Amino acid sequence: MTMRTLRQTQVQAGWVRERARVLTHDGDGEIFKLTLAAPAVARRATAGQFVQIHPLPVGLPGQPGPAPTGQPRPAAVMSNGQRSQASPRPAALDPLLRRPLSLCEIRPEAGEISLIYRVVGRGTRALSAVPPGAMVDLLGPLGRSFPDPRAGQGRLLLIGGGLGIPPMAAAARWAVQGGRPVVAILGARTARYLAGAREVAATGVPVITVTDDGSAGERGLVTDALDRLIGMSEPASGDRAGAAAPDRGPGTEDRIGEVWACGPEPMLAAVKERCAEAGIPCFVSVERFMACGFGACLGCTVPKAGGGYLKTCQDGPVFPAEEVVLGGF
Amino acid sequence: MGSESVRPAGGSGGSAPDLSVRLFGRTFKTPVWPASGCFGYGREFAGVMDLSQIGAICVKGTAIEPWDGNPGIRVVETPGGMLNAIGLQNPGVDHFLTVDWPWLQERGATVIVNIVGRTVDEYAAVARRLEGTGVAGLELNISCPNVKEGGMAFGTTPRSAAEVTAAVRRATTLPLIVKLSPNVTDIVEIARAVESAGADGLSVINTLMGMSIDIRRRRPHLGNVFGGLSGPAIKPIALRMVWQVAGAVKVPVIGIGGIMTGEDAVEFLMAGASAVQVGTACFVDPRAPLTIAEELAQFMAEHGYRRVGDLVGAARLRGAL
Ligand SMILES: Cc1cc2nc3c(=O)[nH]c(=O)nc-3n(C[C@H](O)[C@H](O)[C@H](O)COP(=O)(O)OP(=O)(O)OC[C@H]3O[C@@H](n4cnc5c(N)ncnc54)[C@H](O)[C@@H]3O)c2cc1C
Ligand SMILES: Cc1cc2nc3c(=O)[nH]c(=O)nc-3n(C[C@H](O)[C@H](O)[C@H](O)COP(=O)(O)O)c2cc1C
Ligand code: FES
Repeated sequence: MTMRTLRQTQVQAGWVRERARVLTHDGDGEIFKLTLAAPAVARRATAGQFVQIHPLPVGLPGQPGPAPTGQPRPAAVMSNGQRSQASPRPAALDPLLRRPLSLCEIRPEAGEISLIYRVVGRGTRALSAVPPGAMVDLLGPLGRSFPDPRAGQGRLLLIGGGLGIPPMAAAARWAVQGGRPVVAILGARTARYLAGAREVAATGVPVITVTDDGSAGERGLVTDALDRLIGMSEPASGDRAGAAAPDRGPGTEDRIGEVWACGPEPMLAAVKERCAEAGIPCFVSVERFMACGFGACLGCTVPKAGGGYLKTCQDGPVFPAEEVVLGGF
Repeated sequence: MGSESVRPAGGSGGSAPDLSVRLFGRTFKTPVWPASGCFGYGREFAGVMDLSQIGAICVKGTAIEPWDGNPGIRVVETPGGMLNAIGLQNPGVDHFLTVDWPWLQERGATVIVNIVGRTVDEYAAVARRLEGTGVAGLELNISCPNVKEGGMAFGTTPRSAAEVTAAVRRATTLPLIVKLSPNVTDIVEIARAVESAGADGLSVINTLMGMSIDIRRRRPHLGNVFGGLSGPAIKPIALRMVWQVAGAVKVPVIGIGGIMTGEDAVEFLMAGASAVQVGTACFVDPRAPLTIAEELAQFMAEHGYRRVGDLVGAARLRGAL
């Protein structure tokens, strides 16, 4: 049986450039959570989208707040006494480019967003030093989000691996608000790398936790838990045609009707393969190095099934799994 | 911004400096243009800026047929810059003419088409397709590998650079700008060769060949191994080459390489460039071509320059002493 994904990833609104104040910034030296006052991004964003954040602050604590988005900004006086440029930007040139980070929590009502990231190199290290009260420069929300959970069939399964867990918090909240039955499998190497799992659980969705070493939850891989959930939902006859599960709330017996996954590419490839075998629509969120993040440089391509390339930043980062060739990153 | 500003030295009163430049028989609103490959075909930027306010948009390198581009990782950041190995992915000139150009025209954009090819004939064919369409000019990217010469870039010898320039010259009446590769022994020799072959202007420079290695995975970062270095890291080299070329040719030079601020643009103009292009800066600040033009105007106002032309080559007079 061939699966056709008719459901579409989406873009709700165009992106903006926003100067956002750092509200909280906590970390253990390796994994950090950053909460930002970013009303313009929060208002436009949907789960699965990301921001391009510059790792260097554009204003220090105690300086005046942001000008309204889209308005011309007056020049500011920088700490060295020089007048800054017409549009304030980081004074240093290294790191040069912005870094893509997924939206973990989106709170339009409060005008806030949160991001969870791991320090892996120069950019994330520089970002981790930005103090609360400072201003950071964002482009967002960028990319295509997951499809509208209200329109899908059956129970939604969210799968987050490692730093693929944080975006599942926004996904879980969206699904819960839309009344979609949902369950999450969250996996990491060890308990320490389950960052974002608390934010997912806070939305009230049932969570299955898996770690490679058993330091939290079950010992094993997310695909072990996935096999179990899919197997459990396999009807005896093997006939899944017209098998849309009625909304029965979050009972574990509900058929898994759709999978959204974010995590390391080998994990995504394994999830994609199992979903294809089981005939379950699957959406994956992929990562690439990015220069611009908004479709201009062609630096972030992922091979398209059937030939050619798609842009991760603009056609993705969320793709119907059958549209992309995974395993190249 | 008042209290800190320095009074214009020329005492030119309140009149705002004139950013327009006249080149190739036409007037451009500003001398700060987005560089090819860093601005797509303009679409991605239309939500944050008015494209008609940009002097000229240099669109992505465009070929006679669509090109797929390179597999694997295509961009990586390096100190003060970035490497790219996009492989000139583009949808082809027919797609440009049926989809992008009408869209750009509706927005009042001035457009220079960067053209690429694998053979001299392919370049000339793209130029012919663009004849009479109303684009403001052609920019020949001669950093492409020449398949008939074993993949060596057209721009690396005076002979092949002149050959491709002459062929396109015969194919077009549009202003013809040739974009020089810095990956050569003597850029002045190439500049003179393409000027003699009929170039109306020179863009200086394209990216510098470089590489970086992912030491954890023990392999080059880029799928293509080598890539083009751009951004502030290349600015001193670009500036030196602009200075050298501007001193050796009569046609206008367009300065490119690592420009992030209005003051960077001033350096290139003072070195002899008649206009500049900004590439990597557009990734950090999508409005960079306008922001940098505003900063340039601010510098001019503060230092009493009324016209862009007053800056062009200004540092050369002292340099000669
Ligand atoms: C759409 C998207 C969403 C992302 N969301 C998150 C998130 O929510 N939390 C999080 O911690 N990380 C996320 N990432 C990855 C994050 O962008 C990178 O870890 C970051 O850019 C690394 O910057 P750096 O300067 O610290 O590292 P660098 O010094 O540039 O590189 C260090 C290592 O990180 C890897 N890396 C660098 N850039 C990327 C990239 N763009 N994607 C994947 N790996 C990369 C490289 O393999 C390299 O070995 C996301 C990436 C994308 C594309
Ligand atoms: C991602 C990327 C793609 C590029 N594509 C092209 C291209 O298609 N044609 C071209 O002539 N130059 C291309 N360039 C070179 C730029 O136009 C410019 O010459 C170079 O980046 C130096 O300027 P910068 O330091 O301001 O970026 C590209 C550069 C980058 C970074
Ligand atoms: S990051 Fe530039 S096109 Fe995607």
